[in-house]
Amino acid sequence: MQDFVSLLPLIVVGAGAILLMLLAAFEKLEVETGALISMVFYGAAFFIQLVVGGGPQDVIFDKIFNGMLATSNFSMAAGLVIFGCGFFTSMSCHSYFGVNKFCTLDFYAIKMFSVCGMVLLTMAQELVTAFIALEIMSLGIYILVGYDRTRLTATEAILKYLMLGAFAGAFFTMGAALIYGGAGSTKFVAISQFIAANPAGQPLLIGGAFFIFIAIFFKIAAFPFHAWVVDVYDGASAPVTGFMATALKAAVFALFANFIALSSGFHGQWIDFLFWVAVLTMFGGNLVAIGQSNIKRMLAASGIVHSGYLLIALVAINAEQFTGSVIGYYLAAYAVGTLGMFAAMSYLGGSGEKRVNFDDFKGLAKVRPYSAAAITVFLLSMAGIPPTAGFMGKFYIITSAISAGQMALAVLGVVSSILSMWYYLRLVISMYFHDASESFETQGAPLATISTFVLVVFVFAIGLYPIVI
Amino acid sequence: MFEYALSVMIFLPILAGLALVLFPLRGQVARTVGLIVSIVILFMGIEMFIGFTGTSGMEYVQNTPWIESLGINYALGVDGISLLVLMAAAILYPLVFFVFDTRTKGFYGNLLIAQGAMIGAICATDMVLFYVFWEIMLLPIFFMIGLYGGANRLAATLKITIYTIAGSLLMLAALVYVGVSYHQQFGKWTFDIVQLSALDLGGGYAVLAFIMFMIAFAIKTPLFPFHTWLPDAYTEAPTSATFVLSAIMAKIGVYGIIRFVVPVFEIEFARFAMLLSLAGVVGMIYCGIAAISQKDMKRLMAFSSASHMGIIALGVFCMNVQALTGTLFQIAAHATSTGVLFLFVGLLEQRMKSREIGDLGGIAYRAPIFATFFAIAMLASVGLPGTNGFIGEFLIILGALKFSPFIAVLAGTTLIIGVCYMLWMFQRVFFEKTNEKTAEFQDLTAKEMLSFLPVILLILAMGIFPQAFIKKIEPAASQQVAKLFAMSQAQVADTAVPVSDQNNHKN
Repeated sequence: MQDFVSLLPLIVVGAGAILLMLLAAFEKLEVETGALISMVFYGAAFFIQLVVGGGPQDVIFDKIFNGMLATSNFSMAAGLVIFGCGFFTSMSCHSYFGVNKFCTLDFYAIKMFSVCGMVLLTMAQELVTAFIALEIMSLGIYILVGYDRTRLTATEAILKYLMLGAFAGAFFTMGAALIYGGAGSTKFVAISQFIAANPAGQPLLIGGAFFIFIAIFFKIAAFPFHAWVVDVYDGASAPVTGFMATALKAAVFALFANFIALSSGFHGQWIDFLFWVAVLTMFGGNLVAIGQSNIKRMLAASGIVHSGYLLIALVAINAEQFTGSVIGYYLAAYAVGTLGMFAAMSYLGGSGEKRVNFDDFKGLAKVRPYSAAAITVFLLSMAGIPPTAGFMGKFYIITSAISAGQMALAVLGVVSSILSMWYYLRLVISMYFHDASESFETQGAPLATISTFVLVVFVFAIGLYPIVI
Repeated sequence: MFEYALSVMIFLPILAGLALVLFPLRGQVARTVGLIVSIVILFMGIEMFIGFTGTSGMEYVQNTPWIESLGINYALGVDGISLLVLMAAAILYPLVFFVFDTRTKGFYGNLLIAQGAMIGAICATDMVLFYVFWEIMLLPIFFMIGLYGGANRLAATLKITIYTIAGSLLMLAALVYVGVSYHQQFGKWTFDIVQLSALDLGGGYAVLAFIMFMIAFAIKTPLFPFHTWLPDAYTEAPTSATFVLSAIMAKIGVYGIIRFVVPVFEIEFARFAMLLSLAGVVGMIYCGIAAISQKDMKRLMAFSSASHMGIIALGVFCMNVQALTGTLFQIAAHATSTGVLFLFVGLLEQRMKSREIGDLGGIAYRAPIFATFFAIAMLASVGLPGTNGFIGEFLIILGALKFSPFIAVLAGTTLIIGVCYMLWMFQRVFFEKTNEKTAEFQDLTAKEMLSFLPVILLILAMGIFPQAFIKKIEPAASQQVAKLFAMSQAQVADTAVPVSDQNNHKN
């Protein structure tokens, strides 16, 4: 029964995906209907997840499917973020594909399948399950990235992402195999017990963990595996980019946190290594972002920087009493801001995404003041200016870092966010302090616009009432 | 009704400002709304000043839990330290709406948001709440300079914004460090400043955190050598924004040092006091000399304002009651004199379409009332006896003398530089020959005269009857200094600090 209840949200989304696959056989059905149907299923799954996981206890079901999966408050929160991302991405897609006509109903089905993979990933407590979930998620995302077959950049993006993703998957299996060879089990709990019993460094375990870290670093775009992000985010269509930047990152970070936190032995051994990865990710991301003139590329690079902040939280997690509240909160705060940006890009971009550069948004505030204000709010949230959600997220991360004695990391994180002010402010300056050269006409249904403004409310709501799980 | 007065004073302007920004209204309607709101705040401020007892504790306290897991409260209060800063923010605002009427609704909206955020920063007794308002108050300034500023506004906007945000993010890390240290020492989370003062910090991280706090406040004040954003920002900003920046926002930097740095970092503060007071004096001298050579009246005022901020900050670093009281008094005095001077320069610019000193001359013959008002504000700014500037500067130099005669001599002689550039500028602008431009100059209209008159009278009243103000702020100042001594003398035996029994006999 527990097995069923814990998987119920996932089953709902999966059923929705299959339903959409079947409906895709009917030629008369509009693509827009697909967006609405998928929204219904995401909404239902979100609600069920909230009811199941909304209780006060930390660990909800600790051993389901014979210990392969476990749900805690943290995995539930990550799941909620993912369902929310799916919901709002569908809203953006609805408007985006009203203008850019290359979508079919399968698009939404594939997106829902990859959401299934992501949610499974947040619950995974075992390496093989994690690998399967990771691949379910990635396969869906590959297709979504290259959905527009006529565009050259999209083809480039899918090629890059697929090749590198396949490598990352290979590294993951390799790591899992080595760890199994060393510890005799693929379950996180058993691995952690093994490390506790044999404190001396086992070459097989160290090597295995190293490979798994490589795979995860690739997925979250951490240094030095971050180079693909900019091109792939640029090539994918705006709503898909937003979906990748938020939901995928939430899922992989949930896995990463579960993996690291459950084996406190791992955490102790890798902490110095993670420290440097976090620092280099933040500064590397900033260096990439400062030079961009395309907003999608800038957001991709700023996503790298945010991965760096999340890594700070990982360095600082307390393996004894892990609740993941800081990571969960930051994921939510980051998701709200980024989704909002991409929702706005979806309807302001126009057909063929003709407005993507900083210069294209010159004078937006004079013509469409509310859209410009919404984008400003999202940018301020990403930059961490109060009273937005991003500020509270940053506040929690700095607090957790200093509590864990990582003063240097906290200061470096702060310095990195000073650097990032430059490119966030640049867009604000473009929108407000220049005169408009065009009229920013947009066609299509207003769902993306609605989702933009709903997300603005969320930015403030999450920021002013930070519910820590 | 008055128990929520502070919340009303914070959120009435913010909500009104947001409404002006968001809803389509005409400029004149927006101005009227702004005027009404600012007058309401003015009366609430006066009421609060009269009701304030000055027994050195927090008054008008409000405390509601906000984020309980980290002990962050929505905590507000006013004491002797914040009273006059609050008055500066509450009382001078209607002037801006009375005098200038050519702006759009967005401008008035931003002005109101800035006022609410500044009052919030002044009244917050919780560090995190203070930080939230501290950051919010920068945003309206960013938009006001960027949208409505002068020709080089983009560079000026970026400079002030990135400078300030860099400072405040450093402060954020330091602030979290303080909170975490409290949690480690006392086992619970709080960011309440009264409880945090019990904290006993030491070691390298404490010095680092102290430096990060000081950088944030030094940038905002601005303290030498972090003043480089100021001339550009003050010159390019529209008059009202310059007024807000110089009269109120700069003061919040000094106020932040007194409120948040001194109680928590007593030892570090005592250790760095000499260096910091030197920074204050060097800033005074440097900006004073820079002001002499300016050709643009507004830029001259900007440097003069920076120079005066040096002496205001100096009063904090001297660590005795006279200097601290002087600083708190001078904060209000400088707000009235320099703030009004900036508004006068704005008026001049509006009428003459130029603020080059070389283009002007002989205005006093055309506009005697304007010249008189300007002269009173200017003399207050250079510290002539009988004006409020004298009381503040006198107290600060008195305190500085007790702290270090060397600093006091430097500060005292530097005031002469201030007299030089001010009087020379006054001579060139208001006397000498009229030219064809200034021959047309209109004197203040009745409306303008009536709006400036109360402030001019306030300058004189504060100069002649300072005791009414000092008695409200002094208990809090002596308490603050007493705490500082208790801590720093117990721990830093070799630091030469004056003895606290001198606190009792005031001038």
